[in-house]
Amino acid sequence: MELDRRLFVLTAAAMPLYAGPAVVFTANEAALITALTDHIIPADDVPGALAAGVIFYIDKQLAGPLRRYHAAYQTGLARFEASCRQQTKEAFLELDHKTQSAFLQTVESSAFFNMVVDHTMQGFYGSPEHGGNRGEASWKMLGIEAVMQGHINQGHKH
Amino acid sequence: MTLPAVDVVVVGAGAGGGIAAEQLALAGFQVALLERGRKQAFAETGHDELRSQRTTVLGNAFGPADDRSVRQVQGPDGKFHEVLPSEGAYNNVAACVGGGTHSYGAMAWRYFERDFKLKTSYGAPAGSSLADWPITYADLEPYYTKAEWEIGVSGKAGANPFEPPRSKPYPMPPLPMNTEASLLFPAAKRLGWHPFPIPMAINSVQYMGRPACIGCPHCVGFACEVNAKSSTAVTAIPRALATGHCQLRTDAMASRIVMDAQGHASAVEYIQGGQLYSQPCRAVVVSCSATETPRLLLNSANKLFPKGLGNRHDWVGRNLQGHSYAGAYGLFEQDIFDGLGPAARVAACDFSHGLPNGLRGGGVIANEFIRLPYLFSRQSLPPGMPRWGVEHKKFVRQYYKRSAGLKSPIQEMPVFESRVEIAPDLKDSYGIPTVRLSGHRHPEDAKVGKFLALRCEEWLKEAGASRTWLSLPGSGLSGGQHQAGTCRMGNDSKTSVVDRHCRIHDLDNVYVMDGSVHVNNGGFNPSLTIQAIAYWASAQMVKDLSA
Repeated sequence: MELDRRLFVLTAAAMPLYAGPAVVFTANEAALITALTDHIIPADDVPGALAAGVIFYIDKQLAGPLRRYHAAYQTGLARFEASCRQQTKEAFLELDHKTQSAFLQTVESSAFFNMVVDHTMQGFYGSPEHGGNRGEASWKMLGIEAVMQGHINQGHKH
Repeated sequence: MTLPAVDVVVVGAGAGGGIAAEQLALAGFQVALLERGRKQAFAETGHDELRSQRTTVLGNAFGPADDRSVRQVQGPDGKFHEVLPSEGAYNNVAACVGGGTHSYGAMAWRYFERDFKLKTSYGAPAGSSLADWPITYADLEPYYTKAEWEIGVSGKAGANPFEPPRSKPYPMPPLPMNTEASLLFPAAKRLGWHPFPIPMAINSVQYMGRPACIGCPHCVGFACEVNAKSSTAVTAIPRALATGHCQLRTDAMASRIVMDAQGHASAVEYIQGGQLYSQPCRAVVVSCSATETPRLLLNSANKLFPKGLGNRHDWVGRNLQGHSYAGAYGLFEQDIFDGLGPAARVAACDFSHGLPNGLRGGGVIANEFIRLPYLFSRQSLPPGMPRWGVEHKKFVRQYYKRSAGLKSPIQEMPVFESRVEIAPDLKDSYGIPTVRLSGHRHPEDAKVGKFLALRCEEWLKEAGASRTWLSLPGSGLSGGQHQAGTCRMGNDSKTSVVDRHCRIHDLDNVYVMDGSVHVNNGGFNPSLTIQAIAYWASAQMVKDLSA
């Protein structure tokens, strides 16, 4: 029950950002990937992957151009959970944030985690049209939102 | 279905094929220009980093689509693995009208005199098939000039003291400097080097009916929003069509060159909309890039040419090369990013040739195009920087506007074993046998690469970089968007594929006009040379067809 509640909280945290039902992920999978993206690009004084809706980029693209990675997510998530239980005796989402971080350090060289890192960067730094980078969060963080929208820089030297 | 005959079929509407179609049509010949891709409007791809030519994570913006094509690439284990067009190992250029020029960065370099005589200049290292070209810079100079004036190149004649003699200045002044180049320019001078503005096939002023560059940051890897960048889709090809002598057929995938009993090419077969067409002709120009050109020649094997066209001596598909990119990154403590594209604005040719310690060749050093946020987050990290987490985010945030890159495309020493061949058991979605790629770079490339990377670092430090690190080329198979060398030009039919005018040695009416004919690939981006050679070869072809 405790696990279900946490899943609900995590998905609920992300749900208001989402325009439709999950395309590829189950609620369990979405909660876990959401938690991973939150570690990969955490919030500080500006939004991170969670608020930027990176999970929705991954979910949407796995049904499209990234569909060849779908199987790797399914097997990768299963192994990730098994490995987490083996090491910590708990499900990943049951761990506190610090213990989660410590566990991620031990799997950061895995193909699965690298794939999630790459897709998280795409979802956070890429164009909002693909489902992530909500509110142009990353472009605002970098101070390039005007440039990225195609506005011509007026201050250049001749 | 057999179509009414034309004079010439040009296969591939990219850098070389666009020029060939234009020149032949202007000379009055009836031309069918076949392109496997489509004519793409800017709005289709827009300014989307994840579907650009630099980052194909969500697919190839400029084709081919992943469900259209497939290749095999040899892995380190010796086994061949299937790769899709959006994967780096596929060695993609593009599949659309304009080909690679539709989304390129548009640096418009002339190779140097010594680039055509590398073997005489340096000797071939063991394990390399290095040779001199059968033509010289002087042969090509009028055609470089023609290319610069026909496609439109902005630059400053005389600004690069190492540049060989030119018969005419550039038709347009250089693009404006940006903040980063303004910092790098005086630093190179302080080092005693000779910086100059990069010649670009991008309009700095209105030219030939196309507008000036608007300075947007989405340049390399994207179609140009205003057609200031000289894709052949907006230069040569519209001019070819305007003659009334050229038909552009898109979504038309050539499968075979048909040879008659006398050994002349008599038609090109292609697939369009699921239908097989035969287009009879008097001559054929193959301009499909250094991977797809050998594929078409090898797939056209018949009784007279059992190993494929031009392949009597097993040279078709050999010497696949590109550029080994060496460089360095630097971090600064003030903002140097101003968002003004294309950003690549300053270069130096002090290390293009004549390096110490017997190093062969070299390369131009130029500052990078704007690195967009996703690629920056993945590929611009200093050694030891975490690739995710709090520190990674802080780094990207702090240094996105405070980072510069210098890169050098060095002349690779050609390797005979690096090759394109027909995959024995793999076909693309058209049912046409596809290719497999195998081989490696010559060890010399890594040595030259290290030297150039250190010069890049030296330049960044002089410009005030607080932290620098090197970016060194790998040792695996080369090619990529600068792919070249697989149908080498030469005087001896036993050691090359085409003659000095790009005609296949043992055939009288099949020509190759793309990077395939390059004997080596210069220490520069190759597109202007591909186009200059297409002008040179087309001029001869017009004479051949008129005879």
